[in-house]
Parts: sequence; C-alpha cells; structure tokens
Amino acid sequence: MRARSIWSRLLRLDVALLVVALFIPLFDHWFHLGLSSPLRQCLVYAILALGLNVVTGFTGMLHLGMAAFMAIGAYAYGILTCDIYPFQLSFWPALAATTVIGVIAGALLGAPTMALRGDYLAIVTLGFGEIVQDVLKNLESITQGTRGINPLPGPVMFGHRFGTESPYPWFYLYLGFVVVIVIVCRNLERSRTGRAWLAIRGDELAARCMGIPAVRMKMLAFATGAAIAAIAGALWASLYTSTGEPANYDFQVSVLALCIVIVGGMGSITGVLVGALAMIGFANLLLPRTASWLQEQGWVTQASVFGNPNNWKYLVFGLVLVLMMRFRPDGILPRSVGRRAGAST
Amino acid sequence: MPVETALIPAIAADPGLSPAMVMFLNYLVIGLANGMIIALIAIGYTMVYGIIELINFAHGDLCTLGAFLALTIIGALGMDQWSGAAGWAGVAMLLIGAAGFCAGLNWIIDRTAYRPLRNAPKLTLLVTAIGMSFILVNVALFWGGAPMSVFGGGNQAAAPKHFPSLVSAANLLGEDSMVMLTAREMLVVGVTLPLMVALTWLVRFTRLGKSMRAVAQNPVAASLMGIDVDRVIGATFVIGGALGGFGIVVYAVYNGSISFQMGYRTGMDAFTAAVLGGIGSLPGAVLGGMLIGLLRAFSDGYLETRWTPTVVFAVLILVLIFRPSGLLGAKIREKV
Amino acid sequence: MSSAATLSTRSIAFVAATFAFGGFAIAPATAMATPAAAPSAAPQQQVLKLSSSLPRTGSANAQTTTMVNGIRMAIDEVGGEIDGYKILYEDMDDASPQRGNWDPAIETQNAQKAAADPTVVAYIGTFNSGASKVSMPILNRAGLAMVSPANTYPGLTKPGLGEANEPQSYRPTGKINYFRVVPTDDLQGAVAAEWSKELGAKKVFILHDRELYGKGIADVFERESKRIGLEVVGFDGIDPKASNYKSLVVKMRASQPDLVYFGGTTQNNAGQIAKDMRAGGLKAMFMVPDGCFERAFIEAAGAANLNGNTYVTFGGLPASELTGRGAEFRMAYKKRFSQEPEAYAVYGYEAARVALDAIRRAATKDRAGVLAALAATKDFDGALGKWSFDENGDTTNRVMSGQMVKDGDFVFVKKLGQ
Repeated sequence: MRARSIWSRLLRLDVALLVVALFIPLFDHWFHLGLSSPLRQCLVYAILALGLNVVTGFTGMLHLGMAAFMAIGAYAYGILTCDIYPFQLSFWPALAATTVIGVIAGALLGAPTMALRGDYLAIVTLGFGEIVQDVLKNLESITQGTRGINPLPGPVMFGHRFGTESPYPWFYLYLGFVVVIVIVCRNLERSRTGRAWLAIRGDELAARCMGIPAVRMKMLAFATGAAIAAIAGALWASLYTSTGEPANYDFQVSVLALCIVIVGGMGSITGVLVGALAMIGFANLLLPRTASWLQEQGWVTQASVFGNPNNWKYLVFGLVLVLMMRFRPDGILPRSVGRRAGAST
Repeated sequence: MPVETALIPAIAADPGLSPAMVMFLNYLVIGLANGMIIALIAIGYTMVYGIIELINFAHGDLCTLGAFLALTIIGALGMDQWSGAAGWAGVAMLLIGAAGFCAGLNWIIDRTAYRPLRNAPKLTLLVTAIGMSFILVNVALFWGGAPMSVFGGGNQAAAPKHFPSLVSAANLLGEDSMVMLTAREMLVVGVTLPLMVALTWLVRFTRLGKSMRAVAQNPVAASLMGIDVDRVIGATFVIGGALGGFGIVVYAVYNGSISFQMGYRTGMDAFTAAVLGGIGSLPGAVLGGMLIGLLRAFSDGYLETRWTPTVVFAVLILVLIFRPSGLLGAKIREKV
Repeated sequence: MSSAATLSTRSIAFVAATFAFGGFAIAPATAMATPAAAPSAAPQQQVLKLSSSLPRTGSANAQTTTMVNGIRMAIDEVGGEIDGYKILYEDMDDASPQRGNWDPAIETQNAQKAAADPTVVAYIGTFNSGASKVSMPILNRAGLAMVSPANTYPGLTKPGLGEANEPQSYRPTGKINYFRVVPTDDLQGAVAAEWSKELGAKKVFILHDRELYGKGIADVFERESKRIGLEVVGFDGIDPKASNYKSLVVKMRASQPDLVYFGGTTQNNAGQIAKDMRAGGLKAMFMVPDGCFERAFIEAAGAANLNGNTYVTFGGLPASELTGRGAEFRMAYKKRFSQEPEAYAVYGYEAARVALDAIRRAATKDRAGVLAALAATKDFDGALGKWSFDENGDTTNRVMSGQMVKDGDFVFVKKLGQ
C-alpha cells in the first residue's frame, strides 16, 4: 500500500515532467523563449546519465569513464554516416548499429575488469576514458583526429531530414528517445535483472550467496550502460552535425554525468531527469543568458575575470555539489523503494 | 618518424657513450625527476585514501593553489630577477610558503567539508571531493586574473602563466655533454629525498604515525584505544597537503609554467601512481610515482608524446588485472 | 504512513525547489529573449547587426580585444549608421575557460544564435580555422555572410588543398558565403620554408599541434622544405596539454636540427616548447606562424627564451609597417586606446569595414543583398591596400612578413614572398 503510493507519486512527477516538456516548443514559438535549442543538450545528457544510472545507481559500480562510451557511440555514428567513408548509412540503421557497437564495447572493456573492487574499478574506468580519447585522437587516418568527423546528417522521419532551421523536431525526437529509455530502464528496474543489480549494490557477497551470478550481472549492467551512452553519443553527434574532437568526451563529461546521477538521486530515474534539468539547465541556459544580458546592460566588460559569468561556472557547480551532499546526501529524489524499515545505511 | 635514421654516429662529446645510450640516460634523468614530483603529490592521495577511503579529487587542485601562491610571492618580491644563490633562497621561501598554505587549506577543507560526512556513504564523500575540486579550480581561475604582471596583467585568467626559472638550467656535466643533468634535477632530488626520509620516520617512529596507521587499519578500534580519530585525520590532511605543496613548487620550477587546470593532469598522474603502487600504501605511492615518471619519459621519447597517456593507463590496467590491489597493496580478504 | 508522507512531501518540496531553480533559468530567458521574431524578415526593421565570434577567454584575449576595438572603430567611422539603418554590434566569445581556447560547442551556439537573429547581416569570425569549420555550414544554410579576419587554413576556400570534400562540405547550399581578408597558409607555409633556408638552416625538425590550422601549415612547410632542398629530420604531433616536452627535446637534440618549426598557436603550448628547448640545451632557431604572433606568446615562453633566435611569419604586415590608411588606423588606435594594436587588430578593422561597405552597396539591406555585395567587392581601398575578393572568397592581397623576437618584443625583419 505504502509502496504504491510512493510509486504513484513519482510516476505522476514523471508524467508532469513529460507534459511540461511537450509544451516547451509551443511556449518557445509563442513567447520566443529560445529554450528548445539548449534543452536538446539537456536531453542528451539525461540519456547519458540514465546509462550511468544503470551502472552506478542500480548496480553500485562507480563508473568514471562514461564519456568513453559516449565517444565510441559518437564516432561509430560518424563513421557509419559520413560521406567520406564507404558505409553512408541513414540515421536509424546507423543508430541501431551504434547501439550494438556500444554493447560490444561495454562487454569488451568490462570483461577483464569485473573482478576489481570498487575504487579500483573506478580508476580503471577513468583509464578507459583517457585511453579512448587518446586513441580516437591519434588514429587520425580513421577518425580524422582533432578535426572530428563531419558533416553528419540529421535524423530522418517520414522521409523528411531534420535540418538546422528549427530545433523543434529535434526536441521532440530526442524527448521521444528519453521517454523510450526511461521506459526501458523502469522495466529493467522491476525485472529480475534489475532486482539482481539492486541486490548487488546492496551487498554483493550476500547477493552471491543468494545465487546471483554477480560477475555476469555486473557485465550486463556495464554493457547496458555503455549501449545507452553510445546512443547518447550518436544523438550528440547528429545534433552538432559533427563528432567534434575527441577532447569533447573527456573526464568533465563523465563527472557531469556522475553528478547528475548522484545529485538527482542514485538509482532514481525521475531523480536523474530532474538532476539533468537542474545541472544542464544551469550550465547551458542560465549562464549564457545571464552573460548576454549582463553584456547588453553594459554592466560587464570582458576585462575583469569576475565579470564573465562563464568564469563562475565551476564555483557554482562545486558549491551546489558540496552543499547538496552536506544537506541532502541522498539526492533530490532518492530511491524510496528499497529503503523501508530495517534498511542499512 | 624514426629518429634512429637521423642520428649521426659521431655525436658524443662524451667518450664511450653511444648516441642511443645518451638518449637513454637523458630519458632516465627526466623520468626520475618527474617521477619524484609525482610521488610527492601521490603521497597526499594515498594517505587520505588509506585513512578515510576517499579518493580526494581536490588534492591536485589544492596543490595548484599552492603554485599560484608561489607565483604571487614571486611577483610581490620581484623574484623573477633572482638567480644563483638568491634564486635558491627564493625557492626555499616558496617551498615553505606553499607547503604551509596547502597544509592549512587542506586542514580547513577537511574540517568544513569532509568531517561532517564521516559517517556518510563513500559516494557522498566522493561527490563532495569533486565539488571541492571544482571550487578550487575556479578559485585558481580567479587568482590567475589578478592584476599582477606575473599573471599576465589581469585579463588572461585562463591562460597558462610563465613561472620564472629561479634555478639555472645549465648542464652540470659541462656545456658540451649530451647528457643533461642540471641544478633543477638536483633541486627535485634535494627536496624529495629528505621529505621521504622525514615521512618514513614520522610514520614508523612517532606516536602520530602509529595513530595514523591504527586509524587506517580500524578507526573504531583506534578510537576505543583512546586515539582522537578526527585529530589524526586532520593531521593526515595537513601532512598530505604540505607534501603536495612542496611537490608543486618543485614542479613549477622544473616545468616553468603553471595554469589553473594543471591540477587535473598532475592529479591524474599522481592518483594513477598511487593506485599503481597500491592505494593506501606509502612506499607504493613512491614506487608508483617513479614508475609513472619513467614510463612517461620513455614513452615520450621512444614512442610519441601523443601515446603516452594511453601507455600509462594501459600499464595500470594490466597491473590491476594481475595484481588487483596494486603493486604493493595489501591483499584484501573479504570477510564473511 | 507518516514517514512516507513526510518523505513525499519533502521530495515534492525539493522538486519544487528544483523547478524554481530551473524556472529561474527560464524567467531571465523570457526577459532577455533574443529577438527571435517570426522567420520572415520584416522589411520595416531599421536595425542591422554585425556579430563577431572570437576567442575572448584565455591567452588570445589580448589579441582579440584589439580586434574587437578595431571593429568598433570601423563602426564608429560610419557614425553607427548606414542609409538610415542603425548598426549594432555583438561581441561573442567562442572560447571556454576549461579549454582556454575555442570551443566547438560554443562556436556552434554562436553561429546558431546569429543565424536565428534576422537583424544580423554579417558574421565576423572566426579567429581559429578549426572554429570556422564548425560554423561555416550553419551560416551557409542561413545565407549569412561570414568574413574572417584571421582564418588561414586553405581548405576553407580553396579546392584541392585540403581534404577530398573540402571546401564543398562547408557549403551545403552550394553558394559561397565565406570570405577572408588574410592570405592563406599555402602561401605562408611556403614563404616560411624559404625564409628558413635564407636564415641558414639546412636541417629542420617540424612539430605541429595536430589541429586543422597547425597541422595544415606544418604540412605545407614540410612539402616546401623538401622541394627547396632542406632536410626534414622529424615531423611530430605534440600533445598540447602536456606539462613539458623535455623528452621530445632530447629526441630533437639527437638529430641536431638547425631550425625547429612549430605549426600551431600560442594556446596550444607554443611557449612551453620554446621554454623546454632552451632549458634542454637545444640551440636551434625556432620558427612559428601567425598563430603565435601575439604578445601572449612571448609572455608564455619567457622573453629570455626567445631572444634573438625566434622567428614569426605573418600573413600580412605588422601594425608598425602599415602605410596609408593602415598607418592612419594605427595612429587612431593608439590615440583612442593608448596602446599599440596587436597584429590582427587591423584585420578586424578591415573585415568590419568591408562588411559595412557591403551593407552600403547592397541593393536590399538584408542578408542576401549584403552577401551579393561582398562577393562583388572589387578594388576595395582599405587599410591593407587595394584588394578584391576572388571567386573563392579569398583576398587578392598577398603581402607577408617575417618578424624576430628581440628584447621581449616583435621586431619586423622583412617582407616575405616577393
């Protein structure tokens, strides 16, 4: 009884977010808010964070290298669609192929490391992030090095290719992806696999004693997270019509995803969505808007280091993280299911 | 492009040394020097991890602030013109200043940000450390925008800053020698070795050291034995910070420039070194640091700079696969 | 029941706080929304805008500030209006502090913002060739004219000198919308090689920062060096984020080059290379292209490390050597801003001047008109002399110069390539 009421409350929040999101392009069109364009980035990060949520939130493995799989996804999409390579697939087949590549990459990179303990796994995933970035940068003949792979085509729906004129079709399509992945994650969460993951997160030894094949489950979580991250990467590349350079997929991206997951509420899908909105909304909406506005008002010149709001980004981010962890360590929307009476800290 | 094809057989002003040997020795010198610097900073990581199981992401950025303080002192005292004996005196001042600053700042950070979270889950602490690191990076960015000429005059906050070469780079083996050993390498050794000795003495033979080892082993039991755990943890941060401060000044003099983001790269190297050696183990941190330094130098030289980070991490991953607790790390048995 | 209710209430309270936070983002957005009016251009508008996208954060700031000053001077010269239209100017930053250098995501945002604003009729940018690669297709689709004061990578305009699909990949509509007032690297790299030979170099070691501009010009330098008989003893891409290049210097020292050429910019660690070369005992000359032609380079390397042995090429003339209108510009700049303009200041000025001239000449005062007028620019009497845009959008101006670093400043040596 209690559980259902919590669930139904959360579910309503999910739906509320979705409804608001559906209306954003309309508000944009009527009131000229210019929100849809930067919010597309927010959607892509939400997908990335959902992938990380499977690995860290559900299964409890600290993963500091999500950016590596995003990069793999972006470059896979780039190689499969750009006309300087022989493949030249269209959006949907390329995306499907990228997802598969993500799973394979996750399995390959995850396999030798599943036996590692918590923090050692973290440093190894950190290593993946660096290695993938470097390899992509250095194998110039395949990846175009720092120049990135471009131009890349956008999505095609009903025979119509998305272009750069209007952000609205992109927004809705990406919102659709978020919805699909949320549904997939919710189903995973409630499935046997999801419960196994949560058990491993709670106490791996006990889970093993209960017959859960921990290594296999962890690999599965890792690969799933990698696949979702690859999708995020492909969507990112498609959005910018370019993979950009490998340095775009550096540790900052992994850390940002981690912060979204933890600040939003580890394991809580709605929390991740709210966290993505809060953190990316801050970085991509609030800051640049404030910067332009201050510049228009003439209050700010480029001269003083304090004047440029972009220079405050790290400080505010850091403060939010420190304060959040101090006063609300479980995140904005913690997982309430599974924390009933008798649950350990 | 293979350098070997461009080597001229009769380079050596050093009789009896083949060109390949010359290059090897040079890489060795560079690797050892860099390795010692990395070791100094890695010790800060490993000590904190050993005692509270926190990957202190903020450590590298804390050291960066020490470097900025050093540059400020240089600017304030006009040290960029000092050289020779005055240069060495200047370096000594910077070492003490930066070490004191980093030690104090680290203690403050522990007191305000980490101590309230002693009983919180590890991930909470980790995210706090990440947040702290962001804050410190931004402080360094602002600091870099200070209107002093050493910082480029106030509108180039994000640009790297030139760090004056207080110690000469003249080759101690003689002008013509192809093997280079300079006073700067001597500085690195001269700072690192005594500090290592002092630290070993502290950990092995003092009460504080014993308390630190006790808390690292089992904090609850240690407090039952009458050890003030919070005080010991604070002391750990202080020592780790001081060593980092020494390390970063040496780094700045050796490399000649600092930037507000140097904490990321340096921190990454140092953290990798700590893990490679077995995180929580002090000799492991030193060993890891030296290994990483040598690995980088040889990879830069024999392969190419662009592959070096990959090589370093690949080695780390391989080591961890075969020795999951690092080279000198304790084998952790899972208790049932 | 109570704890669950409390939990939910607190959760909802926190969610409300988050929405307030997010809403805080939306409210100022509403207040200061960019004038994204209906897509059809309203002919009643009496405002035309120039937007610039330059790296304003990081060590390039000193240089780009002088460029922005030049642009403002050009606008002030026409009194801030042309034919009854008020001319506005927006100074956009395409760099981020964490990169200290141009950022592709920010450049994309800038281009999209300019494209969406119907009052913008000319985009002055970018500074780094790699950044133009990102924004050119976006602006091309929007039919917005782009005038770069500093891009020198040839593939942006000249077919056959870059990748297989350049420059068509930058022009999705097939029409040209990109122009530049500086000569390209196929010229600069070549004259650099010739100058190296004149300076007495026989063996050269080439480095580059692996980016579009740096590698591009390094490639040209290599080709030309081999053609004129210099021995290329090394060609290496560096890691611009490395803390030092000591091992690389050891490697270079072994092959005893007379000159080290670095294709790259100050922001990609050119200064550190010079520093490590001198500290490592490598007594070779150091030559760099225009990406390093700024005071920030001397500051980054430490003046003593560059004194008397460092040479800089530039696709144009330094401010001190300008004649005619160029000299007038320099005087006016010094009078107004009490300091010498940096090398690219006059290019920012010229780019703005030619854009304003195109607005004046344009048949219709909108993007299409300005674009057509720019393409038709012929014998433009500017601070850089009399020049035209050719059929690719390049300038017919071919003057280049060589500088040396002495006593902490750049000293003009000679004109190159003539």
